[in-house]
Amino acid sequence: MSQPMIVADGVVYDYPASRALHGVSFSVEAGTVLALVGPNGAGKTTLMRCVAALDAPTEGTIRVDGLDTQDDPRGVHAAIGYLPDFFGLYDELSVRRALTYAARSRAVSVADTPRAVEEAAARVHLSDRLDARAGELSRGLRQRLAIAQTIVHRPRVLLLDEPAAGLDPEARRSLSDLVVKLAGEGMTIVVSSHILAELEDYSTRMLMIRDGQVAGGGVVAAGAGQGPDASFAVSFTKPPRDLRKRLTALGLTVVRLDGAEAVIAAAPGTADAEVLTSLVAAGLKVSAFQPARRTLEAAYLSEAGQ
Amino acid sequence: MNPEFQRNLWLEASPRRVAWAAVTIVLVLFAAIMVGRSGTHQAEILGGVGLAIFVACAVLWAGRLAGGAVLAEVAARTWDFQRLSALSAWQMTWGKLFGVTALAASAGLVGLLVYLAVGQPPDAGWQIALALGVAVLVQAGSFMAALVAVRKARAEGRQARTGGVLGGLFMGYLLLSGFISSRAFSGGGARNLLNLFGGSADMIRWWSLPLPGDVFRALSVACFAGFALAGAWRLMRLELQMRNEPVVWPLFLVFLAAWVAGLPQGAPGQVSAWAGLSVAGLAMCLAAYAAAFVEPADRVTLRRFGRLVSGGDAAEAARIAPAALFPLAFAAILTLASVGAPDTGAVLRGSALGGTAHSGALLAFLVRDLGVIALFRFGPRPQRGDFGAVVALALLYGVGGIIGSTSGGAAGAAVFLPTGGAFVGVSVLSALAQAVVAWMLAVRRIRAPESSVSAPPSGPASAPVS
Repeated sequence: MSQPMIVADGVVYDYPASRALHGVSFSVEAGTVLALVGPNGAGKTTLMRCVAALDAPTEGTIRVDGLDTQDDPRGVHAAIGYLPDFFGLYDELSVRRALTYAARSRAVSVADTPRAVEEAAARVHLSDRLDARAGELSRGLRQRLAIAQTIVHRPRVLLLDEPAAGLDPEARRSLSDLVVKLAGEGMTIVVSSHILAELEDYSTRMLMIRDGQVAGGGVVAAGAGQGPDASFAVSFTKPPRDLRKRLTALGLTVVRLDGAEAVIAAAPGTADAEVLTSLVAAGLKVSAFQPARRTLEAAYLSEAGQ
Repeated sequence: MNPEFQRNLWLEASPRRVAWAAVTIVLVLFAAIMVGRSGTHQAEILGGVGLAIFVACAVLWAGRLAGGAVLAEVAARTWDFQRLSALSAWQMTWGKLFGVTALAASAGLVGLLVYLAVGQPPDAGWQIALALGVAVLVQAGSFMAALVAVRKARAEGRQARTGGVLGGLFMGYLLLSGFISSRAFSGGGARNLLNLFGGSADMIRWWSLPLPGDVFRALSVACFAGFALAGAWRLMRLELQMRNEPVVWPLFLVFLAAWVAGLPQGAPGQVSAWAGLSVAGLAMCLAAYAAAFVEPADRVTLRRFGRLVSGGDAAEAARIAPAALFPLAFAAILTLASVGAPDTGAVLRGSALGGTAHSGALLAFLVRDLGVIALFRFGPRPQRGDFGAVVALALLYGVGGIIGSTSGGAAGAAVFLPTGGAFVGVSVLSALAQAVVAWMLAVRRIRAPESSVSAPPSGPASAPVS
């Protein structure tokens, strides 16, 4: 089991006239892509800013990669990349200069800066725009530049607050691919959104915040991170009347049965082919068979119901 | 090169902007030459224009740019990105301050060089030092005011503006100047600060030491500019979420006290310790008012301060102590020290003890006023707190004073105004009673629990939205 990269313990945050976080505690392992979900005004952005050591909690502690956000805020700043929901760019600077400034101001050495700039631009497909002014870029390209600025120093933790807001489907797909790629390189990523479909493709864990508190069961598996718990959606041709009984006899759990359509669950770790073979061997005529994954929305609604 | 300095150079000193500035200066100087060509005062005119260019560019233009350096980042939503950088607080401070003003300061220096070259002023060295000191003081002061505005805006849920802070500082300067020159506190022996820096006195006596006016002014401005730079650096540290030890602010107060205490002194043998302590105490009172308004109205920090004090953690409490506490404590110490202090210079007209009692009344009213300021600034609408506190104080002193004096004569006036003489006791008791009421109400507001509504106050660009 990997080490926790982010640990929050009893975090309380007060604005002058209101309490935004009420004792939030959670832990995120390294390499996780955490979907931070919850309705508008739940406290997601406040929590992210506390994790980024931009705001100090009123009570409680947050550690990022072992660094306390209050004892060593600058260490935390160096360890993370944070893209707020409403971000700005230096419109008069070229993409190259904007990335150069981002790299140099984040302690990338003079010698390494050109390479870091080229890499960051390539990751977000901006290599052909390096000499364009930031102010000339479209909404989607501006978002890419902002992300490039955020990752140019290769942070260990990346915090993205509503990163896909306002992006077209192609740009969202590009963002999704980038997040998957960064996570594959070992980066711990926290993505906040209230649009669950955005997070479906790449999040491996989910943390729900509601009214400034952790809702549901804390950090739970969700989206792409759900293990192969061997749930399958199966369609049968001419299903027998005792289909449920026969499936149960095969050691399968019938999650849902609706005429010729069924969702079944096998023991964890059971291979797809093994399940399909047992169904066919039992004389059942299978017309469609595919793994059924619990969607993030299903996980959200399930946790919200707890 | 400091990346922040370089970025500002990219933005501010682009070839096109440099070319425009150069052309403008050349045209202005050419016009001055043409105007003075026919007369005998060509050098004076050109020198005057050079000085005007310096003031316009290095003081006014650069001061405005310095004030906008951080506010522009907040408005453009790039400030949080900068706060997360790996730059040190000092790198960020000087990179911004000298980067954003690079073009304006360079243009100003050209004007200063013209002034020195053709004007051939006497004591050019000290005049250069004074001019450069004034430029740095204005730029650093403006930068510091912007940082104060950003912090206040974040805590009080409003838009960050420098104007209010700068206006407040100027008002404080005028008040300090007025009080120092008033007979009540220095027996008329102190100089008016405006005259001190705006006048052309050849010799200035400071702690009875006769100093050439240019030298005194240049050294004083250099010290204030240094403290302004240090203050900006300390505020930048707070913006970067770093903690400050209580060093620079108390050190500045000690310097301020020593500096103003040296002004009302006469010739050697006529030094009045009482007058010095009295004026220094007054300066501390004004510093306390300024600090009470300048500091963000942050109930959360104040409550934490209360918990640390009650828990006996003095070191940690000192780090987050309200800034007004330090000048208040210094003012109290100076007032107590003035009891029985010699007035060998006979600067004071009247008894020293009576003057000290008057200072005590002023101190009691300061405690009340700080309570009134806290009461309004920690109210349900903190963004209107400063204005509300100013109105309340104006009503207490203005309307209260009129009502008191019309209904009870001098004794009635003493209820609302810090009065010396026969009714000093009334003044002190009244102020203390009012202070108790004001502070009880203020503490109630500070302790009031937060509502469970999680939405933050609307306002600054750097504030979160959910």
